[in-house]
Amino acid sequence: MSPRLRLAVLGVALLALVPGAAATIAHLPDFGATIAAYGERINAIAPGERHVANMVSAINFDLRGLDTLGEEFMLLAAITGTVVLLRGRRGETLTDRAMRLPGRAILPRSEAVQLTCRLAGPLLMMFGLYVVLHATVTPGGGFQGGVILASGTLLAYLGEGYGGWRDMVRSHWLDAMEGGGAVLFTVCGLAPMLTGAAFMQNVLPLGTFRDVFSGGLMLVENAGVALAVCGGFTQLFLEFLEETREADGPEEPGEDSA
Amino acid sequence: MTWLPYAVAAWLFAIGLYGLASSRNLIHLVGCLSVCQSATYVLLLGLGYRYGSIAPIFYDHPPGTPAVDPVMQALVLTDIVVGATLSALLLVLTVQAYKRSGTLDPEHLKPMSRGGDKAAPATSAKHPAR
Amino acid sequence: MSAILILLFLLTAASGTAVVLIRDPARQIFALAGNGVVLTILFTALQAPDVALSELAVGGAAVPLLFLVALMAVRTGRRDEEHEG
Repeated sequence: MSPRLRLAVLGVALLALVPGAAATIAHLPDFGATIAAYGERINAIAPGERHVANMVSAINFDLRGLDTLGEEFMLLAAITGTVVLLRGRRGETLTDRAMRLPGRAILPRSEAVQLTCRLAGPLLMMFGLYVVLHATVTPGGGFQGGVILASGTLLAYLGEGYGGWRDMVRSHWLDAMEGGGAVLFTVCGLAPMLTGAAFMQNVLPLGTFRDVFSGGLMLVENAGVALAVCGGFTQLFLEFLEETREADGPEEPGEDSA
Repeated sequence: MTWLPYAVAAWLFAIGLYGLASSRNLIHLVGCLSVCQSATYVLLLGLGYRYGSIAPIFYDHPPGTPAVDPVMQALVLTDIVVGATLSALLLVLTVQAYKRSGTLDPEHLKPMSRGGDKAAPATSAKHPAR
Repeated sequence: MSAILILLFLLTAASGTAVVLIRDPARQIFALAGNGVVLTILFTALQAPDVALSELAVGGAAVPLLFLVALMAVRTGRRDEEHEG
């Protein structure tokens, strides 16, 4: 199919859909007027029933925990696919330089950049941990905190160079974190069944409202998600950057691993 | 103006589809797909919003204060993170397709079924020891 | 609807359009990051701080970075081609 024909087909299809879309939009509830009854009930009941302040975490890890289990395994499958595709075709004879175009001038890393990264890196990791741990109290949770933690490791790449970053971040640890997080979440689902409760029923003590240790089983599931997301995203960064390492060439003099 | 959020969602989806159909670069195409994804975020959060409500976090406000719909937010939250890993998977497929065929233009990609067996040894001979 | 929400929705539509219409992948990455930031502000205005935090980390930082590195991998690959061909 030629590009022009394809665009024509798309244009006709979109034009045909316009009346339907307009009718649908006209019949949707007015923006800002009302919300679905399900959400309304959760807002009314969940703080008392689960002792958590953050309704989004309550839904993700407790009320609709099974959906999150599915999402968790989608994450695992996507990252496994990425890693398998990339590792399969990679040789061994690569230098430890990444993100470098040949012929581009090599500038030594300035001390200001290094200092900034060494200061900001730990602070960012701390913020990530804070976001993970306060999942049931304030906005945040394993998904957001995991991504922030993974981005935090990249500051080490910026400050210490690719070699330093690879020394810090070990691939098999990341595999263990990613898989271990998924296992932890599954165990959280199965373990209550040993006590005779339902799948993923919140059997742990619920704690006090507005306290960090509130929500019972949610905290463990949250930790599992944080592990899986942090390990998975760092693994993605690592495999992608590994892909840009240049093949072994003649060493240019005065070049360190940048 | 109550239709504006839904119209914006529809527009984002349509423009993303146009980008998918007209793109001449596979990396650009993955970017267009993420625009289609963002259409669903706008639609869902638009449906879950209510005037004068607080965020569904009862830390500063006592439980019982009118809040927006937390179900929509939970849906969008997980979708953003998982969608990013799917974008990564597509980018990897793009990079591998480039390594095999030497082009990023979807118009120049040959169908895999026709002569795929014959083409494979030729490509591996062209890129030894990758 | 308040003026700021209207403005943010229009800005979202504009930045999404920009991502599609900027054809050069190297420039598109900046449009993607800008789109992520605009979506973050919109989600904050829609009382969704959880989603905004997630979009900021993913759409503003992680995804543009993955695009950047993928583009770089393609460029290093092109260099190999010239060497061998």
